Amino acid sequence: MAKDIYEDFLRLTGFEEDEMSEYLPQWRKASERLGLTEDDVRFATQERLPTYFAIELEGIRKLLGCFVKETIDLTRASEYKEKGVKIVYGILPAILHFYYALKLTAPDKVYVSFPDIFLTLVMNGFFHKLSPLLEEAERTGIPYGCRHCALNKTRYAALRLGIIPPPDISWIWGFICDEAPKTDEFIRIYHDPEWKTYITRLPHDQPLGTVEDEVIDRVEYLASQMKDGFEASQRAIGIKVSEEKINEVIAIWQRYATKLSELAQLMATDPQPLGVISARPFWEPLFCPFNTGIEPMEKALDIIIKEIKQRVAKREGILPEGAPKLMIYSVHPSVPWIAKIFEDNGVGIPFPEFFTLTKKQLTPSTFKDPYMVAAENWLRTSGMVNPGYQAEQICEKMTTLKVDGMVMGLMDFDRWLGSDHRLLARMIEEKTKLPVFYIEGDNWDDRDYSPEALRTRIESICEIMKMRKA
Amino acid sequence: MDTLEELAQIARTRPEKLKEQKEKGVKIVGYIGRFVPEELIYASGALPYLLCRGGQPEPPDAVIPYMLRFMSPYSRSQIGYHLLGIDPVVPMLDLIVAQCSDCHESRLADLFEYFKLPTIRLGVPPDWEKSLSRDYYYKGLTRLIEKLEAITGNKVSEQRLKESTDSINKIRWLLSKINLLRKNQPPPIGGADFIRLNHYSFYGDPEKLLPKLNDLYEELQKSTSPFPKEAPRLLLAGHVVGVGDYVVPKLIEDSGGVIAAEFLDEGMRHCEWNVKTDGDLIRNLGETYFLERTPPSIFQPAWEERAKIMKKLIKDFSIDGVIWYELSFDEIYDLECSIISKVTDEMNIPFLKLESSYEYAREAVGPLTTRVESFVETVKQRRS
Repeated sequence: MAKDIYEDFLRLTGFEEDEMSEYLPQWRKASERLGLTEDDVRFATQERLPTYFAIELEGIRKLLGCFVKETIDLTRASEYKEKGVKIVYGILPAILHFYYALKLTAPDKVYVSFPDIFLTLVMNGFFHKLSPLLEEAERTGIPYGCRHCALNKTRYAALRLGIIPPPDISWIWGFICDEAPKTDEFIRIYHDPEWKTYITRLPHDQPLGTVEDEVIDRVEYLASQMKDGFEASQRAIGIKVSEEKINEVIAIWQRYATKLSELAQLMATDPQPLGVISARPFWEPLFCPFNTGIEPMEKALDIIIKEIKQRVAKREGILPEGAPKLMIYSVHPSVPWIAKIFEDNGVGIPFPEFFTLTKKQLTPSTFKDPYMVAAENWLRTSGMVNPGYQAEQICEKMTTLKVDGMVMGLMDFDRWLGSDHRLLARMIEEKTKLPVFYIEGDNWDDRDYSPEALRTRIESICEIMKMRKA
Repeated sequence: MDTLEELAQIARTRPEKLKEQKEKGVKIVGYIGRFVPEELIYASGALPYLLCRGGQPEPPDAVIPYMLRFMSPYSRSQIGYHLLGIDPVVPMLDLIVAQCSDCHESRLADLFEYFKLPTIRLGVPPDWEKSLSRDYYYKGLTRLIEKLEAITGNKVSEQRLKESTDSINKIRWLLSKINLLRKNQPPPIGGADFIRLNHYSFYGDPEKLLPKLNDLYEELQKSTSPFPKEAPRLLLAGHVVGVGDYVVPKLIEDSGGVIAAEFLDEGMRHCEWNVKTDGDLIRNLGETYFLERTPPSIFQPAWEERAKIMKKLIKDFSIDGVIWYELSFDEIYDLECSIISKVTDEMNIPFLKLESSYEYAREAVGPLTTRVESFVETVKQRRS
């Protein structure tokens, strides 16, 4: 029965009975707009989510529900636009303070989203059905063969398929890759002149090993770029954000980040209490804004911390005590089976490197100006800087978390974040003397790298790690 | 065209000449990219050497242990030859100036540094219309001058910079005059040779190059075209034809077409723009190199302006068809290709996209030849 499976899906994703009357029709409508059939919803409810997420935990169900609510909201962005709400987009990774400050300044007048990451996470992570979007982009100007990023294709296809409207401003942080900002230029010229963009860029021109957050010229330049971009965004939508509002967001963000650190510490206990795919979406609000607000995510986080503490107290884990642990550069629920193959083979990957903080990142900024604070934070983040500094940071994290090795790769679509992994692997191995593995793959899109294709490699890594640990 | 062969000979023997100069204490500065003004290198008393090789599959493959394989084979080639031990110049360079305008170039600079090659990076912000970005590039030039002065021990004086700018302007002017001869039908020189000529112009001392270029211009004015009158006129567009990557241009012209114009971001002189030699010379260099010339594909915004420029080229050079020459995994050019193909479609100009990973083994060249020949034939039929 159609009604049952949509309801079951919402129950599974933490919706309360008293929310059903409001959200069930919305979810049906959203599913239709996303091209999800009843069979897709059934697949998610009966197979995909129970296989990869710890749905026995309330905190995880609530977490999934936050993403469902945000996705429903995303499919309503066109309605908002028709009512005069200003649409603001961004891309991953960015410091979300500015986007979220726009939302908090004018909650009813502004809609903020990084649409591609939400769609990728939900469409692939929950339904394994991102392909129609990717194929739409590939048919219409972003060819398959060049290994373009799935996020960029998704953003473009979502517009083409009418899932999202063109924005009043898409403020693109091109501090990392080239393709994301240029995709916005492509969308505007090739498909929709209403797709309005403002870009901010930063050349990757620091010598290997430079501690970039300590190069004052660089921090100042980046801060100026951020300020310039934020002011342009405010002008584009006619909303003025006060510095106090940015500081308010920083306070919210820090509160959330502190709780996340607690979850990260719990993940570090032996035996590992929770699979990484279940935990990973809690990190999403650090880098992309939720138009529905961060508070529901924070509530889910509070619940999961309580639940995991109980598991830790009972020494319950998803792996045996003493199992080898690897740090992994990036793992994402969009392609959840990668983590599961590791865990099924007795090796934990509880720490995505990108989301693990160094001591310096936890140290308060030396600046007061919010743009300088944001710029300094950005340049303290390992993926944003030169590989020499990045390697130093990864080595520190590996030592602090006492991991047995590291897995790089799975980012072959990214000419910045993924292009130095082989070099990093060498640098880290030289310094730590721990094994660093490289896996060519794509953590958004698994059409090329199927479980069959990667299983042997991951199993081999696990065997090596277990033999080293024995 | 004996003069062209003489220029080729000058370029071929450049490594030996550089070695001789180095033994005399002259510093040799390698550089990558169109945003590094060789005027500054000459003004410091050093000799420039453009790193711009391509066309062979092994050098990009040699980089794979250190870099994602889905990176442009052109960028990977610039260190690949060195890693294979077959680059005669890179080991003797006193400095490499690495332009960092995109991820491919920046990752290349990472590898230069990882392999302990003396490197300085020149940051080129792609959001070029902002004053913030312009100032960033200008500051980069100032840092480059300081570095050049430090390694050579010479001051980059106004007089020296004026002299070097004059010389390079003259090279550009002569190349521009030769280029304009290509408006004739049939043109006296095709693209395969004109691209080579541009390459040669980077590998000789200006005082030797200038008379030869002048001779060549005179010869071409008088010479008979090697192309038949009915040869379809093609525009070769894309990122770069590297030094040594001549299979595709030659194939196009062997198939009966003539490359009458190019629209390439790297490896060419961009000879329509000369640098002013009065006032603040460094500022002039910055303005010409960063602001005035056709924005490269990586700049943003760029594609609308580039499409306009390409339309003008098509008109001015009576172009019958466009061949987009793309290097594998050059993601920005891949996006631009879709835009340009739409533009040419609207103009009813035939368009062909060719993609290369520098794999020119017999089994790869066969299908490539068929595609090019079919395209040239199609364009020829439309022309007649």
